[in-house]
Amino acid sequence: MDKQLARLPDAESRNYRTLAISTAFILLIPVWARFIPGDVLHIDIVNVMVLAGIYACVVVGLNLLVGYAGQISLGHAAFFGIGAYTTAILCTRIHGFPTWLGVLAGTALSGAIGWLVGKPVLRLKGHYLAMATLGLGEIAFILFQQLKWLTGGTVGILNIPPLSMFGLKFDTDLKLYFVVWIIVMALMLLSINLIRSRVGRGLRALHSSEVAADAMGVNTSTYKVQVFVLSAAFAGLGGALFAHFQKYVNPESFVLAISIMFITMVVVGGMGNIWGGLIGVLLLTFLPPVIQALPQWLPGLPSGLQNFSNYELVLYGLLLILFMMFLPKGVADGLGRAADFTEVRARRLGDRRKAKRLEGR
Amino acid sequence: MMVADTLLQIREVTKRFGGLAALKDVSFDVTVGEIKAMIGPNGAGKTTMFDVLTGILHPTAGDVMLKGESIVGLRPDQITAMGMIRTFQTIQLFEGMTALENVMVGCHCRTACGFASSGLRQPAARREEKDIREKSMDVLKDVGLATRAGEIGTNLPYGQQRMLELARALASEPDIILLDEPAAGLNQYETGELAGLLVRFRERGLTILIVEHDMGLVMQISDEIVVLDYGEIIARGAPQDVQNDPRVIEAYLGIEA
Repeated sequence: MDKQLARLPDAESRNYRTLAISTAFILLIPVWARFIPGDVLHIDIVNVMVLAGIYACVVVGLNLLVGYAGQISLGHAAFFGIGAYTTAILCTRIHGFPTWLGVLAGTALSGAIGWLVGKPVLRLKGHYLAMATLGLGEIAFILFQQLKWLTGGTVGILNIPPLSMFGLKFDTDLKLYFVVWIIVMALMLLSINLIRSRVGRGLRALHSSEVAADAMGVNTSTYKVQVFVLSAAFAGLGGALFAHFQKYVNPESFVLAISIMFITMVVVGGMGNIWGGLIGVLLLTFLPPVIQALPQWLPGLPSGLQNFSNYELVLYGLLLILFMMFLPKGVADGLGRAADFTEVRARRLGDRRKAKRLEGR
Repeated sequence: MMVADTLLQIREVTKRFGGLAALKDVSFDVTVGEIKAMIGPNGAGKTTMFDVLTGILHPTAGDVMLKGESIVGLRPDQITAMGMIRTFQTIQLFEGMTALENVMVGCHCRTACGFASSGLRQPAARREEKDIREKSMDVLKDVGLATRAGEIGTNLPYGQQRMLELARALASEPDIILLDEPAAGLNQYETGELAGLLVRFRERGLTILIVEHDMGLVMQISDEIVVLDYGEIIARGAPQDVQNDPRVIEAYLGIEA
């Protein structure tokens, strides 16, 4: 290989290493979570982590769409809901319907609907696209609520069977934990591959300048639809897992606040940073249980604080504003810079020691 | 009608924006291997012509033929794939990408791997990725930017950003390249280097259509000049003829005379 080419930093292998390490770390969480009994933290770590993994499916895809391709969606709760309702309906209406097939169907249908609506909607840009996707989310919510014969209206669908595959039944949080997080890591791997490829460069190019990307031979309109479909399918997959995790679905889980939450996760973690999305998911998924546990840690806090849904949107809005102002590239970028800083410091320190040693000789 | 070595034919192209005609019945040909310059005062319609040629705008009337085929109505990426690419008057490098990655985007229309094969990192995608990297590095070397390959493109000095834009366009293996004021903002030394580079590329068979305000550069490298004013061709011919044309002097060079 070309010498100059070989000398360039290889972001790729670093990403795969991080993926391997974080997979090992995350799969070990339930082990050490056992040593922290739930009644000390007042948080069921494994349970919250399953939810985080489910959200991560959505956010990894949304990050491809928003962070890399630069196309906003304020309606991804719709695809999350389509995935959830699809498997819920199939598995409760058809006796003995394989749940894993329900999850696949939810993913596929969500992607298909993403293609149908993405084609016209993605011709819009910027604020117009934001408004259109916002409308999509609202339409989906109203349909979930009003198509009573299909969705069960506001009550929703109850008694969804637990996920089962290859004769194994994932009926506890702990069992589901491994399934969900292995799926998340697979999606991460797919995304990392994609970003460091011809397609990923095309997406980043169209984010930066659509006119220039077009002129350089990138078919931007097709790419926009394709990445939208991919993110819709990821969201549908997350939603389907969510249905089997929660065992029931109703429209409340797919309101505007959830779409905003997904976007907030992407922004807080770091737009256009695949790891950032994951960090954003973890921070924001643990936020409500931590807030709810606060009065037990620190007695004397106002009890209204516990009712997270009361001020959820206010908090997300505030977070969005603060991050846009002070950390527009998200937590991941902040951490990365801190790591670079300490690395440089450490190297300097090491150099000085080496120099001293040489002097001493 | 098609002359054997005519690469690009512009036939009575008119472009109106509402009541304003930015281009009025403009016709000219570009032959294989020539460097043709399109000059004219600001607002003469030069960039509009580039936008029409590359599919960003569609002409109100007239036809554009590339290698004998009409390209009116095609998308910009399709025209790029057919072998005609452009650079921009204001530099349009991709943010957050290294110099090498910018050039790699230029390879887009000569490669094929899509979402599935890239996402799954199939052998074909890996092989293609390796080819893209190596080819892009060769192009960077060609314009003298090899040592800057790993730097973020938009962080490079201005002159090098211009060269990088040129490299990115060349990576698409064009037959004809449209350069929109490539020397704008370059110092004399850099302009000289650019001229040398363009002549070298022409020797390799590249056809060039250039819009440029630097008359020194235009006179030095172009085989033929087309002069636009208010959307119409007012003169055309060899550099020295155009230079002495009274209409041109009046419309354009008259400012300097």
